[in-house]
Amino acid sequence: MALLMQAILSGVLIGGVYALSGVGLTIIFGVMRVINFAQGELVMAGMYCTFFLFQIAGVDPFVSVIITMPVLFLLGALLQWTLINRVLDALPQNQILLTIGIGLVISNLAMLAFTSDYRILSTSYSSSSVGLSGIRLSTPLLYCFLITAVITAALYWFLARTDIGHAIRATAQDREAAQLMGVNVRSMSIFAFGLGSALAGAAGALVSPTYYIYPQVGGAFTLKAFVVVVLGGMGSIVGATLGGVLIGISESVSAVYLGSGIKDLCVYVIFLLVLLLKPSGLLGKSRV
Amino acid sequence: MKSFAPWAVAAVAFALLPLWLQSPYALHIFISLFIAVALGESWNVLGGFAGQYSVGHSAWYGLGAYGAFILLQRNGIPPWFGVWVAVLGSVIIALIVGSITFRLRGPYFVLASIAVAEIIRLAALNWKDLTNGAEGIQPADLPPLKIGSQVLVADWNGKLPYYYMGLVMALFCIAVNYAVKRSKLGYYLQAIREDQDAAHSLGIPLTLYKNAGLAISAACTALAGSFAAFYIGFIEPQQVFGIDVSVDMVLVALIGGVGTVTGPLVGGIVLVLLNEGLRAAFEQGHLLVRGVLMIIAILLMPDGVVGVLAQRFRRKAVAP
Repeated sequence: MALLMQAILSGVLIGGVYALSGVGLTIIFGVMRVINFAQGELVMAGMYCTFFLFQIAGVDPFVSVIITMPVLFLLGALLQWTLINRVLDALPQNQILLTIGIGLVISNLAMLAFTSDYRILSTSYSSSSVGLSGIRLSTPLLYCFLITAVITAALYWFLARTDIGHAIRATAQDREAAQLMGVNVRSMSIFAFGLGSALAGAAGALVSPTYYIYPQVGGAFTLKAFVVVVLGGMGSIVGATLGGVLIGISESVSAVYLGSGIKDLCVYVIFLLVLLLKPSGLLGKSRV
Repeated sequence: MKSFAPWAVAAVAFALLPLWLQSPYALHIFISLFIAVALGESWNVLGGFAGQYSVGHSAWYGLGAYGAFILLQRNGIPPWFGVWVAVLGSVIIALIVGSITFRLRGPYFVLASIAVAEIIRLAALNWKDLTNGAEGIQPADLPPLKIGSQVLVADWNGKLPYYYMGLVMALFCIAVNYAVKRSKLGYYLQAIREDQDAAHSLGIPLTLYKNAGLAISAACTALAGSFAAFYIGFIEPQQVFGIDVSVDMVLVALIGGVGTVTGPLVGGIVLVLLNEGLRAAFEQGHLLVRGVLMIIAILLMPDGVVGVLAQRFRRKAVAP
């Protein structure tokens, strides 16, 4: 029983990060109806950003979120402004291929710049853990979860209470109507892509003490972000948060009971089942 | 009949080419070209004609490769028999997968296709008894290829046998595209691509015909995949089931022109030449170029080289 509790709790902790990059994906999808296949590569960019901040300036990976997020925001905004913006009316297939191409470019640029060596960011607390009535939780994952919770709360507040947040949600609901109400849809799209990218960067920064850092790490994060988003319902932010936690739990429970090689398999099988049985996701509206 | 003439001339020219061209490097480039063209054409049947953009075709590529490798390794069945079993196996699995995933549309289908390829890759990685896991399989030496008692190929270390087999395979895949495009099936598939709901209301059973397209597409992909694997001489899960393989297939068709018979041929030539040219210039950059090409193709010529050329000619024909 303690083992199960342990697995579920670790799952919740890591699930928070999946949720973060998933929420980024869902915001981008909501505002632009573009599925960003480069989301994992943005997570990877965030990881490298954090790694070098730590290596060169000695910035703690959890503090570096403050720098990584704005950097990735700019990168995302730039991508939307120069490339994605041109295919907003194109076939969905072409949008997908474009973002796949962007992902390839980012990961290969990283490979050329940083080689494909695996890097490890080890802090003083990297391998320590906290005991909680018989259950042990890894300290970096715990920090990671707490910061994720703070960022998620801030994001909810931002979307619910600020003018830009309202404008983003209006654009997501109905692009044309939002435009008629005087929302600058073009700059909202740029902002939304920046925001989605910043969230991916935050996810990358937060997992960097617990993951290997290498240029191809993005692919797994891209797929996981999709699973999270589809599970929760495309475009639903609450759904993505819930989806992230559920995927985290199912991953760590299946790793404990079925073996770590099988855990990703379980995640994708769940993904296919959700796609088939309830393609609108747990909290999604059935308009898709 | 007329339109076959250039193809026949090209085929004969390619068949005679090794008489003059014997450098292994040149032959290697042509073999890579044949593989790229065969894969692009295979993908085109489903992605081009039916508009079902699968980014998970590495599943059929890898199943073809693993099927033939395992049959040779475990049962000593030579690949020229084993490959048909592998193709059949891939088609059966493709049909099972297709009858489930073809209910999905647009981006959801793309996601599902990636997930399927990823599931099969992870299965191959973990089912170590059958696949030897991440260590991969390096097959035993191939037995000599005989017809009756006549030995056709005794030595599999040279490039020439692969050249001719690759040529036949590429021509076969082009012929399949040609046949599909002009068949009733092809018209149904193109109707589905243009407007799925309209096609449905005209009485075209969507899943049935998409599955027929997928079966042909998967069979050709598995054939090309197992050929490519024997040519390379080694397989492991990431190399054959990885998303790079699928992306490459899409890219060949995309650069040439999606949904045209000549498109993947042109795309294959462009990609292989660029790949080789840039590989010589800098070792790791050719992957980067693949991404850049993809972006350029989508932004500037979504109809591919063939589409751009067709438009040029049409404009010329209209202009006085």
